[in-house]
Amino acid sequence: MSKEARQSITGLAMVLPSFAILLIVVIIPIVQSFIMSLSNGSGGYDLSRYTYLFTDKGMRSNIVFTLKVTAITCVAVILVSYTLAIYMRFNQGPIVNLIRKTYMIPLFIPGVIATYGLINLLGNHGWLARMLEVVGITLPRIIFDEKGIIIANLWFNIPFTTMLLSSALSGIPSSIIESAKDVGVGRLTLFTRFIFPLSYKTFLVALTFVFMGVIGSFTAPYLIGANSPQMLGVSMQQVFSVFQEREQAAAIAFFSFLLCSVLGAFYIRSMAEEEKAKI
Amino acid sequence: MRMKKPFLSLLTVVGLSVSLLAGCGNGSEVKSTTTGGNAAASSDPVKFNFYFTGSQNVKDLWDSLEPMFEKQHPDIDVNLVYIPSGTGAEPTYDRIVAAKKAGKGSGDIDLYEDGITSVAQGTKDGVWEQLNAKDIPNLSKVNTDTMKDVDNFAVPYRSSAVVLAYDSSKISNPPTTLDELLQWIKANPEQFAYNDPSTGGSGSSFVQTIVYKDLPEEDIHNSDPAIMEKWDGGFDTLKEIGPYVYGQGIYPKKNQGTLDLLMNGEVSLIPAWSDMVLQQLNEGLLPDTIKMQQITPGFNGGPTYLMVNQESDKKEAINEFLNFVLSPEAQEVIVDKMNGFPGIELSNMSQEMQNKFDGVAEGFRTFNIGDLGTEINKRWQSDVAAK
Repeated sequence: MSKEARQSITGLAMVLPSFAILLIVVIIPIVQSFIMSLSNGSGGYDLSRYTYLFTDKGMRSNIVFTLKVTAITCVAVILVSYTLAIYMRFNQGPIVNLIRKTYMIPLFIPGVIATYGLINLLGNHGWLARMLEVVGITLPRIIFDEKGIIIANLWFNIPFTTMLLSSALSGIPSSIIESAKDVGVGRLTLFTRFIFPLSYKTFLVALTFVFMGVIGSFTAPYLIGANSPQMLGVSMQQVFSVFQEREQAAAIAFFSFLLCSVLGAFYIRSMAEEEKAKI
Repeated sequence: MRMKKPFLSLLTVVGLSVSLLAGCGNGSEVKSTTTGGNAAASSDPVKFNFYFTGSQNVKDLWDSLEPMFEKQHPDIDVNLVYIPSGTGAEPTYDRIVAAKKAGKGSGDIDLYEDGITSVAQGTKDGVWEQLNAKDIPNLSKVNTDTMKDVDNFAVPYRSSAVVLAYDSSKISNPPTTLDELLQWIKANPEQFAYNDPSTGGSGSSFVQTIVYKDLPEEDIHNSDPAIMEKWDGGFDTLKEIGPYVYGQGIYPKKNQGTLDLLMNGEVSLIPAWSDMVLQQLNEGLLPDTIKMQQITPGFNGGPTYLMVNQESDKKEAINEFLNFVLSPEAQEVIVDKMNGFPGIELSNMSQEMQNKFDGVAEGFRTFNIGDLGTEINKRWQSDVAAK
């Protein structure tokens, strides 16, 4: 056997287990739920479940609501995390140390507990409202509203995203930044021409994570979201186990998979382009 | 610096073993229950699996009833499998149906506890065993009408009532009829809350009671889909009070959701399960000013049922257990632990117990509308929640 053949067999053998897991855990269930979502309940197969998704008033507003919350969260998380990461990368001192030591704490608090904590903090008679009452400010409604869901999502996503971006930023050699500064490059140019392009890949990874995490989130939207419109995850649970319409739930599941795969495809394409550029 | 490495490797070991254990969890559980089944063939005690779901109080109840029973019957071993409310009741039922369809017998679930929806569903799917007083003598102590509602496919072993819970420091004379309640809601905007009916029984009871408010009494024992046409009036009422409830249309999740609002004073009147209110008053979670009021006609409340899997091969032992659960001594524990109503008729209980329930025993009506309960929730979601 030639060396190349042996190498490619080894390569294939190493890829196979992970591919098998991917097949069993991801691909087959997606295909199954797609087939399930096509059945119309009376033996035939058609697109009626999907028609319902876009024609039912409640369901349509759920989709719009989910996309809106996801978009707002993504933008806010990226903004806050990038700022934090850059601040920690290029500054020193006690404040930076404090942030560095504490910013990951939310990652260690279970979702349900964090959500109940937020209810106690932000509820109409919560701590914040009581503290503000002393100074004569009435807290607007935050819980049972999209604001509550977005705040909870920020709490869950900022630490991880900041962690990802920090590690990308720490990979940028200080020499590049310093030499750019030496020739008189302004802060904005420094960011747009050097820092952002050098951390772009991680930025995309972070964005993908936040997007997928938020679009499929359940605990916080279930406990502090409104009854209508709902996030897709909550709606899926309701359709599946309360209304017991499995096919309809499968259609929602497949639809949210499609939404995620749009971003996934975008991500994979840019990765592939980069690989090609390297060759 | 030297400390770092051992700590890291310890962390890795712990992490690995946790993930391994998590992976094995399901498999080992199934295995252990099968070996239990095989052991039954020899002279060891007959072991059957009892799956039940609910809040912590339900678990506490069975944890105290099981040793009582096993002391009396050393030849029977009841294996309690507790599924916390909201996480796995549905999959448990699915497992029973799946095992039956696959010809795999009982699927290791011999006895199952749940509400009327599961009884109706299982009767339709043909998975429950029909019970009779010959095998379970104490069944004769249960109200015959209640048994007729479920065609003897389930044992109503305890009951709960939905009542109005109110803050007596804000309300001196709470509403006593449904019409008064509706007037009160409109007169006191944002002071009333009921929970999303698909997430908890007290909200569901409120919705069903309103929907069937002006319908004839026999309709609440009818699961004919034709009745759905008569719901319009009820749903109009629900839509009408929408702007007057908490947050002008906020319906918290789960029974506890509204109790939390009552607890921190955001609302002053809610429908709630009497046993939950009593228990939380006892534990000091609710302030002492919280009182309860039943309205007439009562809210839809009702029994919780035990169902025997038709495919189970340990029916004798199960019947023995059910007979015990319906005995006055076990029922007394249920009343004490759960603050609920007994499943058997009061006349079979001690005089002391009878006095305790003087005048409130008729505090609820049992609805048996089968699958229509799901239809109500669906329509509530699109008509009331989505406005």
